[in-house]
Amino acid sequence: MSAQIIIDALPRMLGGMVLTFQLLLLSLAAGTVIALLLLLMRISGRWWLSWPAQVYFYVFRGTPILVQIFIIYYGLPQFDWIRDSVFWPILRDPFGCAIVALSLNVGAYVSEIFRGGVLSVERGLLEAGAALGMSAPQRFVHITAPLAIRIALPAYGNEVISLLKSTALASTITLADMTGIARTIVAETFAPYQVFLSLAIVYVTLTWFIQRSIRYIENVLGRYTVR
Amino acid sequence: MKSWKATLAGLVVAASLGAAPAFAETLRVGMECTYAPFNYRTPDGELAGYDVDVAKGISEIIGVDFEYVCQEWDGMIPALLANKFDLIIASMSITEKRMEQIDFSSPYRVSIGRLVGPVGKDWNLFDDNGEPIAENFSGLRVGVERASTYFEWFSAKMPDAELALYDSNEAMYLDLKNGRVDMIMTNPMKAHLSFLSGDGAGKYEFVSPAVDEPEFFGPGVGVGLRKGNEELRDNISAAIRQLIRDGKLEEYALKIFPFPIHSEAWAEIE
Repeated sequence: MSAQIIIDALPRMLGGMVLTFQLLLLSLAAGTVIALLLLLMRISGRWWLSWPAQVYFYVFRGTPILVQIFIIYYGLPQFDWIRDSVFWPILRDPFGCAIVALSLNVGAYVSEIFRGGVLSVERGLLEAGAALGMSAPQRFVHITAPLAIRIALPAYGNEVISLLKSTALASTITLADMTGIARTIVAETFAPYQVFLSLAIVYVTLTWFIQRSIRYIENVLGRYTVR
Repeated sequence: MKSWKATLAGLVVAASLGAAPAFAETLRVGMECTYAPFNYRTPDGELAGYDVDVAKGISEIIGVDFEYVCQEWDGMIPALLANKFDLIIASMSITEKRMEQIDFSSPYRVSIGRLVGPVGKDWNLFDDNGEPIAENFSGLRVGVERASTYFEWFSAKMPDAELALYDSNEAMYLDLKNGRVDMIMTNPMKAHLSFLSGDGAGKYEFVSPAVDEPEFFGPGVGVGLRKGNEELRDNISAAIRQLIRDGKLEEYALKIFPFPIHSEAWAEIE
């Protein structure tokens, strides 16, 4: 009987995988753009750029993502001007709210990962670049960025996996992602153990694939450094 | 050594004296504690509401002390089955599906549903006989609580409507006010008190007649308990019938509504 519950539940939960992946990929893309902007602001050396970036980082790292989702989904519409603004079509939609919340959150973490990569690039290399007459932007693009990406990639992969699991929180704002569907199935069958366990196995499998993909990219990018 | 044994003996005696006389135990009762006016906390932190009154009434008649456990709705039955508490007195409708998992006492409240939406929308959702017109629901976004009987009814009857599933009633009302859902389906008694006569007065109204289909909503709201407790179940059912005969259920309802919310006929069901 319990096996039957799992057999019935799996295809339904997998139907939510499309939404889970939309959440993952869209917020990863938007989050990475935010992260790059924050990174440039922080390493700009101008206090009026780096200071707001630091505040942003502290706010988004210092609060639970569930709270951020609730503030954006339930909190913002309390203001009439938000509901009259151009952002309302996005914020009215639970999917839009989830993307906004996840992107803002992942942007903060990824910017810190990028910064770690940038800071680890040896000063001597940049000085050599300067001696060759390269401008600061040129040094960033040709020296810092390629090295920093390689260093940041493992931590970035970690963040992708962490984001995959954060997408499950979208089920709290009425979205039917894999977790949302699983919770509905539990509500119908009253079998939390079987359903959530199969859901956990699905997430573990996805994580494994993401991990393999990141490893592959690491190997490609690091092909000159392999001894 | 002697004193150690004496202490132990004393503890055993104290423990047996402290227990309730009839069943020699306390029963734990699961409820949401956030579902006003049926079960909720007053500003002083006291539990109150119709379910709580009924629970206290039953507790008095069967002579067992109740202890209350707050539990979110969608985990209510799993928590009962996992022995986190012994009874559900949480406005839970008796349905076939739930009866596959748990037992119910006889009903202590009617179970109906109604749609709430903004005033002045001419959706033409129900015909003159009060039957829903399924195709007019297509494209509308309707809020229901996950795992509720309203969800079952809606997904069976109106497959074209887009359902938004909520974990709490409050979140659902917020989204109705924010315009994220076109309407919600909920308990009309609760909607009347907590929304239509307060916050939403003048802006929102019932947009459907009372929907009462025992096939989905069951014969009413009962006390849920694990299977295999027939004696306790029958005691509770007898207690509910006595509460009806004594006019207690009516008294509890009139504290909140201008009308009773049970059926006098239930006093006769065995």
